Amino acid sequence: MSEKVYAWLLRLYPSRFREAYGEEALQLLRDRLRDEKGFFPRLRLWLDLLGDLAISMPHQYLHLEPTLAGTSAQPHLNDTPSFFVLGDESPRPGALLLGGVLTLAALSTFSILLGRGGTQARMGVIVSGHLDGYAKPSHQPVPQAKPQETANAMNRPDAAFKLDAEERQRVVDASAAILKKNYIDRDKAQKMADALLAHEKNGDDDAATDGADFAALLTRQMRAVSPDRHLTLVFSQDPLPRNPMGQTAEELIRYREIMKQQNCTFEKVEVLSHNIGYLKLNSFPDVSVCQQTAETAMASLNDADGIIYDLRDNRGGEPAMVALMAAYLFDHPEYWYNPRENTTGRSWTHSPVPGNKLADKPVYLLTSGRTFSGAEQFCYDLKMLRRATLVGETTGGGAHSGVWHRIDDHFGMGVPETRAINPFAEADWAETGVEPDVMVKAADALAEAKKLAASKSQKK
Amino acid sequence: MPKRKLDPLPSTAFQILLALAGEDMHGYGIMRRVAEQTGGRMRLGPGTLYSSIQTLLEGKFIEEVDSREDAKLGQERRRYYRLSSAGHKLARSEAERLADLLRPARTKKILRGEYV
Repeated sequence: MSEKVYAWLLRLYPSRFREAYGEEALQLLRDRLRDEKGFFPRLRLWLDLLGDLAISMPHQYLHLEPTLAGTSAQPHLNDTPSFFVLGDESPRPGALLLGGVLTLAALSTFSILLGRGGTQARMGVIVSGHLDGYAKPSHQPVPQAKPQETANAMNRPDAAFKLDAEERQRVVDASAAILKKNYIDRDKAQKMADALLAHEKNGDDDAATDGADFAALLTRQMRAVSPDRHLTLVFSQDPLPRNPMGQTAEELIRYREIMKQQNCTFEKVEVLSHNIGYLKLNSFPDVSVCQQTAETAMASLNDADGIIYDLRDNRGGEPAMVALMAAYLFDHPEYWYNPRENTTGRSWTHSPVPGNKLADKPVYLLTSGRTFSGAEQFCYDLKMLRRATLVGETTGGGAHSGVWHRIDDHFGMGVPETRAINPFAEADWAETGVEPDVMVKAADALAEAKKLAASKSQKK
Repeated sequence: MPKRKLDPLPSTAFQILLALAGEDMHGYGIMRRVAEQTGGRMRLGPGTLYSSIQTLLEGKFIEEVDSREDAKLGQERRRYYRLSSAGHKLARSEAERLADLLRPARTKKILRGEYV
C-alpha cells in the first residue's frame, strides 16, 4: 500500500527524473519499509517522505532545464509575454485533455468574476493610486502621485462622487482634528482649525461642489493662517486605500515585477559623443529592489567625462534612491536636504562611493514641468550645492513632506509633523518648483545640455 | 549547470561525497551511511538523495559503476556509485573551507578541541 501511494506521489516529479531514478526511489522505499517496522518508525518514514517531497520536487522543476530557466530572469522587452519550454518530451494525450479542461474551467471562472466586477475598482485603485508614476506602495500616498491627475486620466464611470453639505462638514471636522493633533506648531494648528470651522459655519464653503475645488479652498483657508506649502488637503476621485500602511504583499510583488520589466525605470544608459554619459531615469525606485540596477548603471558610466541625468519624465520616488544616486557626485559626505526629515543624522550622502570616478565630473540635469517630487529634490539639492547645471523647464513643485492622513474615501491631507532644516533657503521647491539654470523647452533640453557638455570638454 | 548548483556545495552533496569516500555504494547504502555519519540528523529522502546524485553525476564528481545485487538486501539489482577524483578534490576543499570556518571559533575558545 505504502509503495503504491509513493509510486503515485512520484508522478509529481518531472518525467526525466522519474525515468532516471523512479525505480531506484521505490527500491529505497522498499528497503526502508523492510527495515523500519512499527508505528513510530513508519510515522517517521512518512514524515521524511513528505518533507523530502516538499523540498526536492520544486528543486527538480527549478533545475529542469537550466538554460531556459536562466533566460526567464532576463527583463522582458516591451511587455511582450514570453514562454519557456521546460521539457522536451511530447505531452501525453491524457495531459492534453486535462490541460484543455482546466483551461476551459479557468476561462469560465474568469468570465464570471469579470461579470460580477466587485473587485475591479479596488484593483484599479491599487494600480492607479500607487504604481502610476512608478511609485512604490507607501504609507504616504500623497507624495508619490497627484491622485487628482490619476482620477482625471482614468475618468471611471463607477467613481461617481458627489460633494454635499454632509461630506463638507465631515471633511472640515476631520481636518481640524488632524491639524490640532499633528501639526508641528500647536498654536497655528489651533488657529487653522478654528478658521476652517468658522468658514464652514459662515457658509463660505457652500459654493464648492467639486471635490478638487473644495480641497483647494480648504488648503487656501489653512495657508491664510499659516503659509506652509507643505500643508495640503487632497481630493482623489478614486477611493483612497484604507490600509494605513498602503502596501500589501500583492502590491509589492507587482511593484517588483514592474521594476523588473522596466529595468527599474532606468530607461536609457549610454555614452554619447564627447564621452558624455547619459542616463534617462523615470523614477527613483525602491533601493531594496533596484540598488543593483542603479549601481550597474552608474558603473557603466564611470569613465565618462561628464554626465547628463534626464529627469524630464521622472515623477519622483524614494528619498533613499535619490540620496544613493547623489552619492556618486561627491568625493566626501555632503549635506543632503530632505524635506521629510528634520534631523541632520541621515541627511548626508554616502560619499565617496568606492571606485567611483564621477565625483568631479560636470553634471547636467534635464528638467520639465513633469519632473516631480523626489526628482525635484535631486535637482534642488544639486542646484543649491552648485554641483549641477539644470537645463529645461521649471519643475512641477511637489515637495510632499507632509505625513499622510486619510480622511475618507476621497479626501486626505499631508501634514508636516517635523521641521526640516533647509540650509539653503527659507523655502524649498514646494509649489514653486525648481528653476533651471538654462531655461529651454523640455524637448530641446537634451540638445542644449549636449552642447554645453561638449563645449566644456573642448575647453578642457 | 552542476557547477552552479554545487557552488556553494550543499550539505547533502557534501555528505554523499563523504559517504562514498570509503567504498562504492548504492542509494540506500548512501542514505544509511549519511544518517550514521551525521548522528541521525540527516535522513535523506529518495527525492533529495537522487536529485543530489543526479547533480553530482552531471558534474562528474561521482560515477556510476555497475549494477549488482547486495547480498544483505536480497536479489534486486542495484546501481552502485563511486567517488571520482574530482569528487574527492571537491570534498577535500569543502572540508578545508569548513575547517577554516572553525579555526576562529577554536581560537576564541567558543569551540573546544584541537586546532584543525
